Amino acid sequence: MSTATSLHQSRKRKNSVMMTLCVAAAGIGLAWLALILGALLYKGLSGVNLAVFTEMTPPPGDAGGLLNAIYGSIMMTIIGVVVGTPIGVLAGTYMAEYGRFSKLTTVVRFINDILLSAPSIIIGLFVYELMVRPMGHFSAIAGAVALAILVIPVVVRTTEDMLNLVPNALREAGTAIGAPRWVVIKSVAYRAALSGIVTGILLSIARISGETAPLLFTALNNQFWSSNLNAPMASLPVTIFQFALSPYEEWQQLAWTGALIITLTVLALSIFARSLTGRREDK
Amino acid sequence: MSQMLSPDMTIAAEAIAGKAKIEVKNLNFYYGQSKALKDITLSLPERSVTAFIGPSGCGKSTLLRVFNRIYELYPKQTAEGQVLLDGQNVLDRSQDLNLLRTKIGMVFQKPTPFPMSIYENIAFGVRLYEKISKSEMDGRVEQALKRAALWTEVKDKLNASGLSLSGGQQQRLCIARTVAVKPEVILLDEPASALDPLSTAKIEELIDELQADYTIVIVTHNMQQAARVSKQTAFMYLGELVEFDRTEKIFTSPREKRTQDYITGRFG
Repeated sequence: MSTATSLHQSRKRKNSVMMTLCVAAAGIGLAWLALILGALLYKGLSGVNLAVFTEMTPPPGDAGGLLNAIYGSIMMTIIGVVVGTPIGVLAGTYMAEYGRFSKLTTVVRFINDILLSAPSIIIGLFVYELMVRPMGHFSAIAGAVALAILVIPVVVRTTEDMLNLVPNALREAGTAIGAPRWVVIKSVAYRAALSGIVTGILLSIARISGETAPLLFTALNNQFWSSNLNAPMASLPVTIFQFALSPYEEWQQLAWTGALIITLTVLALSIFARSLTGRREDK
Repeated sequence: MSQMLSPDMTIAAEAIAGKAKIEVKNLNFYYGQSKALKDITLSLPERSVTAFIGPSGCGKSTLLRVFNRIYELYPKQTAEGQVLLDGQNVLDRSQDLNLLRTKIGMVFQKPTPFPMSIYENIAFGVRLYEKISKSEMDGRVEQALKRAALWTEVKDKLNASGLSLSGGQQQRLCIARTVAVKPEVILLDEPASALDPLSTAKIEELIDELQADYTIVIVTHNMQQAARVSKQTAFMYLGELVEFDRTEKIFTSPREKRTQDYITGRFG
């Protein structure tokens, strides 16, 4: 009886030690996140005004905004997603549908996983060699291509995973009614996996909207307004990089504000993506 | 063993009344190297219900899945022999699979409504092969739902998701969807095994009505169900067709000891 009690006591002690460690670890993780968000809000919010969204990045010592950088980020992100998404979705479709049992799929999945975790600066260098050097100058289009290459592996992975979650019984049912393979994929499998695939695309947008390294080698930066895709273009991450390292107070303030804008955008996208997956799980 | 059985089998086949809709001749089926069906020969009469019974893994579902060649979705599954639908070998390489499957519909064990509205679930299959007007389509959807005894339950919510229905309703929706494309044969792979007794009774009633127009093949674990719904029954064991005869004969005076043992619950 007494051994049972002491065993019970020692288990209780171990349990409380483990729990304390886990709670502490979770607390530390959360604390950093809260600190970062807090600092961003504190430093960034004070710089938010109309000029940020209406004026160009200023020369040192002047007041100004981030309009050209915001525009550049949006443009290059859109082009990157528009180019990368179809390739990613189609590749994922091949892997989950047509090539489900083929060796090629295993190879593509392996390479895709490598690409997924490849440092983005390498993608930047790759596109620099591929486009910037032959063209002789930095350009927004090269930046967009670098971002597209970052989008592809994310979308491939989520598309394949989501299509693999579609029960085979549903494919069989579509096939059994006489639908050709591509109709089954388009009308049944895509529909069943839609929210998951869209989530993957949103997450890829969240990922590339904060990328700096690949843009440094491709789109570079631009102090002025430019909508020419064949010329260097400003972007929020590169502008933040440049302004945050500068000794000028106005630039540093704009860097904080830009960082806040990116963070809030990514946060909003993530919450939206979450709500999409959440809705699917409710069903 | 099967050679010894063959002469008997022909006699039995003759005892089964009606013109043959599907004739299976010397069918062998392989999952990779392993042989799942061994030299199956039988013929299924038109506009009548045939049941396949047998313990798990005996090959009854496999046999059903050969009829519409749905097994070809997966690699390393091969069929040898002949399956004649109105005299045409469906195992021919030249057979158009999509057309074959409009002639041979299939309903699965688990209800599989498509992720779309009730209306669209039915219109989907029709639209694949027919170009018809909206009003004609409305008629087809109504007709199919009535045929599957589901119309009164869903007529006010045709735009609701097919997934919002109960399990039994979903299964009847799947039957409606199959009927809507006007097949000649309907394959039912344990259609009621995931349903409650009440829904099961409805499905069985439905099968009884449908046999006036369709050749129906049902795979079932439930021997009472086979006895209730079918005109003839095939008992399969370990990939072999042990006995095929009129249902009442199988359940009252089977020729084979293995059939006797199975239906009396001695194994399986």
